[in-house]
Amino acid sequence: MNVTIEEKDDALVAILEGRLDTAAAAEAEKELTPLYNANGKDIVFSCKQLEYISSSGLRIFLSVLKSAQPQGSHVRIADLNDDLKKIFFMTGFNNLFEFV
Amino acid sequence: MKTKSALAIIVTVGVLIETTSIIQYKFAYDGIREEVQHRAESELKLRSFEIRNVMNAVEVAVTNMAWAVEQNLSQPDSMYAITQRIIECNSIIIGSAVAFEPNYYPQKGRLFSPYSYKQSDNIVRSKQLGTDTYNYHDMEWYTEPMRKGQPHWSEPYFDEGGGEMMMSTYSIPIHDANGRAVAIFTADVSLDWLGAIINTNKLYPSSFNMMVSRTGQMMTCPIESLVMRKNINDLAAEIKDTTAALINQRMMAGESGMASVTDENGELNHVFYAPVDNHTGWSMAIVCSDREIYYGLRQVSFNLFILMIIGMLLLGYIIMRTARSAQRLQMVNAEKERIGSELHIASEIQKGMLPKIFPPYPDRNDIDIFGSLVPAKEVGGDLFDFYIRDEKLFFCIGDVSGKGVPASLVMAVTRAQFRTMSAHESSPDRIITAMNEAMSEMNEANMFVTFFIGVLDLPTGRMRFCNAGHNAPLLIGSGVGTLKCNSNIPLGIMQGWKFNMQETLIDCGTTIFLYTDGLTEAEDSEHAQFEESRMMVVAQKALADGTHNPTNLINNMVEAVHSFVGNADQSDDLTMLAVQYTKPQKDEKFQRSLTLTNNVQDVPQLAAFVEGVCEETGFDASTAMQINLALEEAVVNIMNYAYPQGTFGNINIKAQANDVRLKFIITDSGSPFDPTVKEDADITLSAAERPIGGLGIFLVRQLMDSINYERIDGQNILTLRKKLPNIN
Repeated sequence: MNVTIEEKDDALVAILEGRLDTAAAAEAEKELTPLYNANGKDIVFSCKQLEYISSSGLRIFLSVLKSAQPQGSHVRIADLNDDLKKIFFMTGFNNLFEFV
Repeated sequence: MKTKSALAIIVTVGVLIETTSIIQYKFAYDGIREEVQHRAESELKLRSFEIRNVMNAVEVAVTNMAWAVEQNLSQPDSMYAITQRIIECNSIIIGSAVAFEPNYYPQKGRLFSPYSYKQSDNIVRSKQLGTDTYNYHDMEWYTEPMRKGQPHWSEPYFDEGGGEMMMSTYSIPIHDANGRAVAIFTADVSLDWLGAIINTNKLYPSSFNMMVSRTGQMMTCPIESLVMRKNINDLAAEIKDTTAALINQRMMAGESGMASVTDENGELNHVFYAPVDNHTGWSMAIVCSDREIYYGLRQVSFNLFILMIIGMLLLGYIIMRTARSAQRLQMVNAEKERIGSELHIASEIQKGMLPKIFPPYPDRNDIDIFGSLVPAKEVGGDLFDFYIRDEKLFFCIGDVSGKGVPASLVMAVTRAQFRTMSAHESSPDRIITAMNEAMSEMNEANMFVTFFIGVLDLPTGRMRFCNAGHNAPLLIGSGVGTLKCNSNIPLGIMQGWKFNMQETLIDCGTTIFLYTDGLTEAEDSEHAQFEESRMMVVAQKALADGTHNPTNLINNMVEAVHSFVGNADQSDDLTMLAVQYTKPQKDEKFQRSLTLTNNVQDVPQLAAFVEGVCEETGFDASTAMQINLALEEAVVNIMNYAYPQGTFGNINIKAQANDVRLKFIITDSGSPFDPTVKEDADITLSAAERPIGGLGIFLVRQLMDSINYERIDGQNILTLRKKLPNIN
């Protein structure tokens, strides 16, 4: 699991690569800490290379959203593959995030 | 009926009765009037006749004695004897005179009139009346007969200083041999008897008769002081009613008739009058007060009026009562209809609470179920229910004490309680305990329910059950027997009761037959009961015939009960539920196993294991990812919850596949943890409302075909299944 955060066009872009399973979740959350202080900047999860996500991973997405929304940040998910999109739809997360 | 129309009826009846009464009154009034007139006329005739009789006697006596006078004209002094004689012979004649024309007897002076009279001492005395001071030639009693040449009755007069009585003088002319009138022969008649005759009869208590002379002198009348003192014309003048004067005129003219007069007191009087005879010119009248004549009629009319009022009030009351009771009847009928239709609806609602599609699980080959409930009334207190959750069949049967609507309400509550309590609890004893607590608490009506719950683990055939005072089910498989179960106590009786759970293994092909006492206590017309023995016979025959599948078994049972009961009314709700376990045992063709520690860092090992299994069993990568996710969620859950923080243990994952499905059996030795009872996540909430956790088991349910938990021998056993990709 690789996590990279870039600032691009006034937005924080988190690039997720590999499997975001329960084992990787704790480390990933740590690396994503800057997203909790977006200060109104929009957040984009770039998921082109994301292969797998478990409920622990979904938890992180939700936590970031919960912290960002009150600050006025938009949280977008980019390039999610169809299998993972299914999981988002199954859990109702499609209603919470903007997909790009 | 409205009060208005009742009022209309009363008014109509009132008007009709009133009109009838008025017409009747009019006829009766006219009838009475005619009757009174008739009686008055008869009375007048009778009295006239009596008066005439008396007067006739006087006239005859005078006429006869006149002959003696004429014979003795030559002897003037014999006249004393003649006049004495007539007085002596006729008691009412109290004076008699023979008054000669002036100078008829020159020797007797100019006026000669021998006169005899009777005084109160009844001694008859005589004297010569003709003196210079008593010039009788001008007197009516002398001039009138002389002038007419006919006998004459004088106007009545009051004999003052003599008999102190009312008198009238009858005088006839006396002729000499040449036929010349030479004298007048008189008889002074006391009229005392008139009053007696006139007043012999009274038509009414206060009616009176009166008599007037031809000049209107009052001859008899109830007021003594008026007699001979008052002329009726003066009297009439005192009364304002002009009719009185008219009557007087007619009476004095000798006419007869009747008229009505209002007297000085304002009272109406009816006067009937007729002349007594033509000689005297006397006239007689009967005066009756209107009040008295019509007293009876008015009394009767008044009574009738009162009766009519009472009758109408009574009629009104009866109409009101009838209307009210009709209204009440209408209301009762409407109420009955309403209750009837409500009962019908209630019956439909209750039917809706029961499973009614059989077979209920046509896609499953491990279970066959049939149920039947025939309530004795529209609604009943029996229930059965079943459903499958996480590869476990939850089924129950119950019988609420009593029948009808109250029982049906408790039935509905019981069914709802069963569904609620079993949604997140798989142990039948805990379900029943929770139901008992809830139902005891609100049991105001002291209703209770005998209840049986079975939880059949479909993969294994292990049945856990708990009984609350219900009939033990039959097991029909290798023989027919009764399931050994503790009866405990019915639901709703005692709070805090500990219900204990039992379990047994159901063999493939065995039918569990549940029933209420409506079956064993079904009565025929002689009140004999169907009894357990007959039920057993039917069950045994079904087993022998190989027709112990739920549908056939219950149909056979129903048939047997019907033929036993015959035409008798169904006395109780009849409910049966049969569950046959038919799981075919398939050979597992594929088997792999993995053991992990309770450390989330072992999760990648699991991923590799699952990927391998999925590849071997032919799942595509996308589905494999889903199965992987489900397994990870299930295992991580166990790691987090079965093993509390700081404890260590293993988790074994066994993958097995037959021709149809792939299953994972996850076993751990941690503390009891049933993930299937967790409530599903609400995926409709907003980001702010959504809890961070709670998605794990939700995802497992979404991704796998079934999830099933069992705790056996101190181990949590969680089984996840997924159909193989080529199986529909």
